[in-house]
Amino acid sequence: MISAQRLTRRFGSRTAVNDVTFEVARSEIVALLGPNGAGKTTTLRMLAGLIAPTSGSIAVGGVHLTRATGAAIRTRIGFLTEAPGLWDRLTVRENLRIYGGLYGLENVDLRITRALDLFGLADRASTRTAELSKGMRQKVALARTLLHDPIVLLLDEPTSGLDPEVTRTVRLLLEERRAAGCSILVSTHNLDEAERLADRVAVLHERLVAIDQPAALRRRLTTGRLIVRVAGDPSSLVDTVHALLGPGADVAIEGAALTLRVAHPDRQTPALVAALVAAGAQILEVRAEMPALEDVYLHLMSGRS
Amino acid sequence: MNRTRIRTLLVKEFLDLGRNRTALVPVVIVTVLALLVPVAVTVAIPAIFGRGLGTDVGLVRVSEVVNAPESLSSDARVQLFLFQQFLMMFLLTPITGAMTLAAHSVVGEKQSRTLEPLLATPITTLELLAAKVFGALIPTFVISFAGLALYAGAIIAFAEPGVPSAMASVRTLLLILFVAPAAGLVSLQSAVLISSRVNDPRTAQQFGVLIIAPLAGIFVAQFTGSLWFSTRALAVLGLGLVGLWMLLLLSSVALFERETILTRWR
Repeated sequence: MISAQRLTRRFGSRTAVNDVTFEVARSEIVALLGPNGAGKTTTLRMLAGLIAPTSGSIAVGGVHLTRATGAAIRTRIGFLTEAPGLWDRLTVRENLRIYGGLYGLENVDLRITRALDLFGLADRASTRTAELSKGMRQKVALARTLLHDPIVLLLDEPTSGLDPEVTRTVRLLLEERRAAGCSILVSTHNLDEAERLADRVAVLHERLVAIDQPAALRRRLTTGRLIVRVAGDPSSLVDTVHALLGPGADVAIEGAALTLRVAHPDRQTPALVAALVAAGAQILEVRAEMPALEDVYLHLMSGRS
Repeated sequence: MNRTRIRTLLVKEFLDLGRNRTALVPVVIVTVLALLVPVAVTVAIPAIFGRGLGTDVGLVRVSEVVNAPESLSSDARVQLFLFQQFLMMFLLTPITGAMTLAAHSVVGEKQSRTLEPLLATPITTLELLAAKVFGALIPTFVISFAGLALYAGAIIAFAEPGVPSAMASVRTLLLILFVAPAAGLVSLQSAVLISSRVNDPRTAQQFGVLIIAPLAGIFVAQFTGSLWFSTRALAVLGLGLVGLWMLLLLSSVALFERETILTRWR
């Protein structure tokens, strides 16, 4: 649905985005991660047709983004900008109505009412947006972004500064849009949100450093350590582990758990479990120690720097 | 060009202005002044000093350019000349008040961070800039035309006999309905162009003041009698102004750099 091929954008001598290629499929959420100045907003602006790439190409729904197709493509995109960008002297409803008119929507009032209900803003419809809290303003901006039922959503920090309740509302809403077939690219600093929400995570730092499913990214940094939690004292099981993995095996006891390093967790874990059970262990839990997405992110960024 | 989008953005401009009426105060003040000055000069001052306008040789001489009906008295001829000359001033001076609105239009959207979501819609640059110009022009002319009704009322009430009917001419209509709006479009389009090229509202307003300079020149030339537009000259002037406006509109579109505005302006 969104295709970015070898996107590069330079501002004078500074390269903001360099040779970035990725796609966002239908019914997919991709989170764009990266430090400040990594080129996230520039990438979103290029995809929204607001600024042109220095080189490379963009296609939305199979249509190549050009000067001639820009306006038509923008009708299919919902772009949430970094700042809500609401007209302060206008009410919530007026703000949405103007955007409804700009998108040439029919049944604007019905759509607005639906959007207001969705975001719990019905009782604020006649309030001037200057009087709203930051969270409310962000909700109005989101309602504006979704008003024309876009097939592509480009969201720049949608939950920045929002309280957990509103953040959850936004997350659920995006999941709904994904289920409805939307392609969603969301820029965020919130790694937890990226992990919870995104099907894939793209790490950007001028170049595309990595793009994969969150779990796959985490596996890249896997330590090869297994944690086996048992009922009772695990120290009696150390010999069993040494018998299976060799006397030099890295085994430690941490409370009620054995922690051990294996070279090939997928292959060795079943045999290990079988040996422990045979030795009388009552196994409560076996899991591979996985790094947090934050660790992966920091690792990738340290590689860049 | 999609007229619905222009209309929609115009509605936004009017709603915004309706909630910020102080922005229109300069237009109202200038309109009131433009109404009081001609009445004072042509009616009040001569009445206070007991000297008819027709006794001033200089005024009688410059007023000959009007080509007034023979039946008018000497006082009435001078009054007709002055009311005609003040009419142009009356119609054009409110534009100076609206200059701030136009000068603030694009840079104001950028400053309040409303420009980026707006540009992310299908609106074209031409539609955006046209809406910005008409958004400043229409309220200004509403106020100006309300003042015009008072101006006409003052002429009917205080002018010498024959002056009101002599004022009701093709020339006057041309001035009101064609030349003044065209001049307004040129001035405000220039201000919008400037607004899309500078990154600070104060700079935009400073440049906007420069646009007023040619208007001031026209006023001075008018009252020395060295500049008189016949009906035909006004028609040509109006057409020229419309042409100039279209040229300015296209130049504004060509010079509107979305990318620079979005990425460089702070």
